[in-house]
Formats: sequence, structure tokens, C-alpha cells
Amino acid sequence: MTPFEWVIVGIAVVGAFFGAVAAIGIVRLPDVYTRAHAASKSDTLATVLAVGAAALTLDSGLSTVKSVFLIVFLFVTNPTAAHAIARAARDQGIEPWTTGTEEGDDR
Amino acid sequence: MVEFETALLAVAAAFVLFATVALYRVYAGPTTHDRVIAVNVAGTNTVIAIALVAAAFGQSVFLDVALVYALLNFLLSIAFSKFNVERGNVL
Amino acid sequence: MTDPDPVRLLVPVDDSVTLRNTVAYAVERASAAAADRPVELHFVVVTRTRSVSPDAPSELGDARDLLERVALWVDEDATEAIRPSITVDTDVIGVDRYLFSPGDYADTLLEYAADADVERIILDPEYSPGGAAPLLRPLEFELTRGDVTVEEASVDRQAKRTVLARAAPLSKYFTVFGAAYLFYLLLSTWKPLDFFTGFVTAAIVSVVLAPVVSGEPAAVRRTGGRLLRFVLYAVYLLKEIAVANLQIAYVVLHPDLPIDPKLVRFQAAVWSDSGVTTLANSITLTPGTLTVRVAEDGFEIHSLTEGAREDLFDGGLERAVRFVFYGRAAAVIPSPRERGDTGEGEDG
Repeated sequence: MTPFEWVIVGIAVVGAFFGAVAAIGIVRLPDVYTRAHAASKSDTLATVLAVGAAALTLDSGLSTVKSVFLIVFLFVTNPTAAHAIARAARDQGIEPWTTGTEEGDDR
Repeated sequence: MVEFETALLAVAAAFVLFATVALYRVYAGPTTHDRVIAVNVAGTNTVIAIALVAAAFGQSVFLDVALVYALLNFLLSIAFSKFNVERGNVL
Repeated sequence: MTDPDPVRLLVPVDDSVTLRNTVAYAVERASAAAADRPVELHFVVVTRTRSVSPDAPSELGDARDLLERVALWVDEDATEAIRPSITVDTDVIGVDRYLFSPGDYADTLLEYAADADVERIILDPEYSPGGAAPLLRPLEFELTRGDVTVEEASVDRQAKRTVLARAAPLSKYFTVFGAAYLFYLLLSTWKPLDFFTGFVTAAIVSVVLAPVVSGEPAAVRRTGGRLLRFVLYAVYLLKEIAVANLQIAYVVLHPDLPIDPKLVRFQAAVWSDSGVTTLANSITLTPGTLTVRVAEDGFEIHSLTEGAREDLFDGGLERAVRFVFYGRAAAVIPSPRERGDTGEGEDG
């Protein structure tokens, strides 16, 4: 591999790390709101890094444009989707989990 | 010495693995909202995996697939939250 | 002689094709009733300015213009004999709310109806506030929740002013068509067939989607400066996002899961749809905060850790968004904490 390719793989691997954070967060965090945190932030960064790596690999003009568009699109829609779901949950009256919930004292 | 394409495919495989991990939340719930968030994450990871596969094979056509998948993924979340809130618990 | 209780009619108005005829119809109804009782005609615009702050700037001008026009039309239509017994009332309502569904619009109208003691609502058949897809049916249905009679104005839809009234939406069709066509060609391979399929696709897209495209005309004069400032903002945002993710990664991977989630409320000093959207999405992307709801009383934000809440009320992001949309002068408005908004006691 050339140094440039090493850089690309490096970026993709960092992206994979945040993808892992998102997946683990989804499984570990206690309620729907906190899970939305993991889904929106970590997954968005994972997308930017990994698809960015793909964009660097596909060096023809059109594919790069498409990749950049894919990044921008996910960048806008991921937080929006998380917000929409959190809003839906809130409108249905799902109470957020707090540290007090488990330990039995209020704050 | 690792080949460049293989490395990219390995990262793509990792993302598929994360999507599978997120599927646990789809199974476990407990609310529909949790499930939709998990499906959304799995979907995003799939989009990333498709993009990486496109890069590894040099097939830019796959990027179109990824784009459409991303659109559908977003539509799913929005449609869910709209229906769930405004029509009562349809889903 | 005591004045009998006036008949009160409420007409929600919007810049629709049949507005002129609806006004004529309302006046006709009023004239019929005016024989024995005075009539109050209430014309209201449920504004599409989805501002978070009630003292929002400029956008209300259009609504006022529309209401002035309506008042003139009433004057034109009413005959000499009954003009003294008709009173016209105009108002802009819903300014301080986040209007989203037909239900929200109905709530706003019914509230006004209750306040003004209105007995009948006359609906324009083409009424579609917010410039979005037609929502008359659901709106009519939602309005029946109140104890007011709802009636659809019977007007001829082939109004003589059709062409004039359509001029603005038509330009929107062309804009959408142009954007869709360009986008199609950008992603295509520039073969002759692509130009044809692109044309067909863009035509379908513009016909289907033009009615739901946001109606705010871009202020070209300010857009250039905004774009430039947006680039600066993007750099700042990227830094914040990187920090956000490291924090999340730390919290999620920490064996004890050190989180202290809480819902807080936050009154943002940002106006206009695009400003609010940008801020809401930025809040979601940055350290430990997630926008749950944008409502009439501000943003509702779920924060993951104590530190995240501190950052939010220091107002760095809010200031940056104001900088993008309104320039340097607006950036120096006090932060939420200095405005005395700490979101305390609002959790849960």
C-alpha cells in the first residue's frame, strides 16, 4: 500500500471506531433519549469519516461529487431523524431516564 | 502485507457487524422508538458499508444504491414519528 | 335602544386563489345577517413565521399587507345601506407558536374564536396556511372539536383573478423543475437519453413537489454574506462535533456509564425557519445535547451530562448561529445565562 492508501484506511478505521461507539451506545444506554444521542452524534461522524475515505479512493470527479452529496445528506438527516424520534417519544409521554430513577432518590 | 482493497472490505465488514449489534436493540426494545432508532443506526451503517464496498471494487454505481438507501432510511424515521404522533399508535 | 349582540364571523385568510371570492362570500353572508343585528367580520392570518421568539422581525409585513387588502375588498363589496352595520377586525395570530399539523392551526383558530366569541367560521376552500400541501379537510375536521359552526365558502373556483394569483406559485414550479433537472444532469452521464429522461423526471418532480417546497424567497442580498459566515461556522461546528464524539465515546465505553441525563428548556434568541433548524441540528450534533422538541416556549433539550448543560447555557452555539444569519452585530446579544434562563426546575 502507498502512504496515501494508508491514510485512507486510517480514516476509515477511525470511522469504524465511532461506528462501534454508536452500536455499543445503542445497546448499553438506558433509555430512548440517551440512545438517540449515540445514534445521532457518533453515527454521523462515522459516516463522514468512512464515506470520506470512500470519496478519496474513488478519484473520478462524478463519484466524488456523489460521495460528498451522500455525506452532506446524512449529515443533515441523521440529527433530524434522531430529533423526530425523540420528539415522538416525548409527545407520547415517555419519561427520560435520570440517575435518580435507579438509585431511588430525587437528584 | 495487506492489500488496500482488502483493508477497505474489512472496515466494511466491521460496519456490517455493528449493524448486527444494533439489531439486538431492535429485538430487545422495549419501546417502538428504541427499535426505530436502532433500525436507523443499522441502516446508516449499511449505507457506509455499501460506500466502502463501492470504493474497494471501484464501482461508483454502488454509490447510487447507497444514496437511495440513505433516502429510504431517513424516510422511515420521519414516517414513523409522524404516524406515531399524529394518528395515534398506528405502528 | 340597546345594541343587540353582534353576529361575529371568523374568516381565516391566506394568499389563495379563491381569497377574493371568499371575502365576497363572507360579505354576502354578513349583509344577509346585518338586516337585524350588527355584524363583526374577523379576518385573521395564521402566520407561517415559525419563530421561536414572539418579537420576531420583519416577516409579519406580508400578513399585514394581506389583511389591508382584505379590508379594502370588504369595503368594495358592501353596499351603502349595510356598510354602517359591518365592522371589520383584522389580526395576525399564531406568531408565538410552532405550527406544524392541521391540529395546531385548528387550536390557534379555535382559541381566537373563543376569545372573540365567534359563532361561525367561514373557510376558504383553497385555504392552505404555511404554503404547504392542502390541509383543508383535516383542518375542517379538527375545527369541529370546538363549539363553533364551520362552513366552507361556496365560491366559484374558476375565479377571474386566477391567472394573477397563480403567478407566484408558477415561478416556484419552474424553480423546482430547474433545480431537479440540474441535479439529475449532475449525477448522469450526459448521454442524449439522459437529457430526455431528466426532463421527464424533473417535470414529475416539479408537479408533485412544488406545492410543498418552502415558500420563503431567499434574500439574495444577504445570502452571499451568510454563505461566507457559514463556512466559518462549519469549521467551528466540526471542532465541536469532534469534541462531542470523543465525549460520547468516553461515556459509552466507560465501564460505569457516567451519565446524568436531564431535560432542560431553553429560550433561543434565533428567528426564521432556517435559523431555528440550523441551531436545532447543531445542538444535536454537539457535545451531549439533543434537541427533543422545538415548541412555542423554546427548545426542549435532552442533555447527557452536567458539562453539556453548562456549555449550552453559555450560549456559544446560539451566538454562532446568530452570527451566520444576522451578522456580527446580532452575535453580541447576551447568552441564555445572562438573560436569566438557566432551565432550572424544568426537568421531567
